Amino acid sequence: MGELVNIFIKSAFIENLALSYFLGMCSYLAVSKTVKTAFGLGLAVIFVLGITMPINWIINSYLLSENGIFGVDLTFLRFILFIAVIASMVQLVEMVVEKYSPALYNSLGIFLPLITVNCAILGGSLFMVSKEYNFSESVAFGLGGGFGWFLAIVAIAAIREKIKYSNVPPALRGLGMAFLLTGLMGMAFMGLMGIDPAAF
Amino acid sequence: MHSTSSIIRFVIVMTSIVALILAALQNGLKARHDRNESLYSKKATLAAVSNEIDGDFSKLTDADIQNIFDNQIVQSVIDASGKIYSEEELLEMGVKNGKAENLDLAKEWKKPAEERLRPVYKFTNNSGEDFYILYTRGKGLWDEIWGNIALKSDINTVAGVSFDHKAETPGLGAEIKENKSWVRQFIGKKIYDGLELASITVRKGGAKDPNHEVDGISGATITADGVTAMLETGLEAYRPYLETLKN
Amino acid sequence: MADTAISEKKKTIAFGKKERKLLTDPINDDNPITVQVLGICSALAVTTGMKNAAVMAVAVIFVCTFSNVITSLFRKSIPKQVRMIVQLVIIATLVTVVELTLKAYAFESYKQLSVFIGLIITNCIIMGRLEAFAMANRPYESALDGLGNGIGYGLILLIVAFFREFFGKGEIFGAKIIGATSEYAINTTESTLFGWYQGNNLMVLFPSAMFVIAVLIWAHRAWNTKLVDVS
Repeated sequence: MGELVNIFIKSAFIENLALSYFLGMCSYLAVSKTVKTAFGLGLAVIFVLGITMPINWIINSYLLSENGIFGVDLTFLRFILFIAVIASMVQLVEMVVEKYSPALYNSLGIFLPLITVNCAILGGSLFMVSKEYNFSESVAFGLGGGFGWFLAIVAIAAIREKIKYSNVPPALRGLGMAFLLTGLMGMAFMGLMGIDPAAF
Repeated sequence: MHSTSSIIRFVIVMTSIVALILAALQNGLKARHDRNESLYSKKATLAAVSNEIDGDFSKLTDADIQNIFDNQIVQSVIDASGKIYSEEELLEMGVKNGKAENLDLAKEWKKPAEERLRPVYKFTNNSGEDFYILYTRGKGLWDEIWGNIALKSDINTVAGVSFDHKAETPGLGAEIKENKSWVRQFIGKKIYDGLELASITVRKGGAKDPNHEVDGISGATITADGVTAMLETGLEAYRPYLETLKN
Repeated sequence: MADTAISEKKKTIAFGKKERKLLTDPINDDNPITVQVLGICSALAVTTGMKNAAVMAVAVIFVCTFSNVITSLFRKSIPKQVRMIVQLVIIATLVTVVELTLKAYAFESYKQLSVFIGLIITNCIIMGRLEAFAMANRPYESALDGLGNGIGYGLILLIVAFFREFFGKGEIFGAKIIGATSEYAINTTESTLFGWYQGNNLMVLFPSAMFVIAVLIWAHRAWNTKLVDVS
């Protein structure tokens, strides 16, 4: 259990998908204009990552590997299957949210289907494969990674809301400023490098 | 609006075409893939003796590397007790062609230390001098790191090292692989202090002992500590074999 | 008179003004990275060296162009309900082709780009162009659009990579230009004119890509003022 908490903390803070690896930047920059939308998207990302990670793990270990049920190395199908799983899961989440919480569905709007092409989701699964996590580790990694991404996007949304009232040069306003802010946040997160949560 | 059956038909046709194309490509290119992987790890092994190879090491072609391996390298596999395995024994154990170059080192390191098989490459340079290239593996900051260390025929002086990593930070931990001048420091260091196996230590803040220490890398303390640790345990594991060489 | 009018209408221009606009718009007014805010993720991780950036750019141009063409060819037969998955499978297939090819013929680049080859699938530019253009236009125009966007993306990638590689490692495309050892063309430990120069290691780390792009956007919008506040 301790090892899983370790991985959760590591993937949320020390190996933050958004601020250490800069994954999921497109939606991160486009949706962070207000905290409200950032919050909603962040929650959705946690959910999707938490679900797709274990499913992709199962697919990778039991279908694609040489030791799987097909007995042949099918890893060249990995990209297609992973993205298909992600797209299906997002579609499913969309349908469930629409049915059980129409208010949430309306406030999330277009951002929900956009999660499919969020590099952080596919990136998370690909990292899971390269780090050779087992099943429970993948779940911890997915939830932690999602949580870290959520923190990152809410944080920058908060900053951008405040910066709207500052005197920024016209050509730097908006997107340029967002890049600068993200870079600074990334630098700050570098200070967390090397911390071993197990030491606490 | 497409009917359900036409959707299903479309999906089936598309999936089949896609699967066929990719399977064909994968099969067609597999031989090249395997060759590339094998040459990549051979080049890493040779990087440890790059100083002893004539010409610019970075300009070596695939053919050159294979040539050196065929003509100037003698491969062996040893176990924790220093016993050398014959090609037949290795073939029986499932090692392809019975050669050290085909050992799955990541898998070996998942076994307990006493059960691990380790490669030894004896390299003879163009002047006829022999060098012994050993392999070790350990943990860096984020993930695994590994490396090769080449010893001169006195089984004490280091002729060169080469390191690689899975996920160290570019510009920091990854410098163990990229920074050629840092790597060159290892040349000439000694692994024995009298009869004691002292190994080489990467010292933060600068090397003090000229024989057994090298400078650290700023911002990469943990990776560097990982290098020190894997050199120590690695050399210790080869000790029985090294003793047989010295005699 | 009427005959020439009709024949003029029927004459299809292979590369007229409209076609040229498809190619040049994404380089300036509609640049995928600096204006449309797409394709950022890979732009950061692979720009540590111009060689990697170039390989990535070629890969994206390939996938973007061909996925545009294929989608456009089948745009009327793709069932609406599975549209997104079909698009993703087309992209994923092309990316797998790229990966297998790199692994066979450019192993060094394959090892260095690793995870980020797969992430081309989620490169929003490709998906974005499929939805915005290829689903509603003919194959030839779609090809040009894909090519243009790929080139616009590649251009930014190379510019960022140039700054990061040169000021971080003192190299351009791997050629050692300025540094502290004798391997470099300008050896700072021996040069009198450049002895003060030290590479900025921050440039090799991830956040620097953000800063370089921020400055690029600033410069781009200061020069092309109609882009201010567009995103």
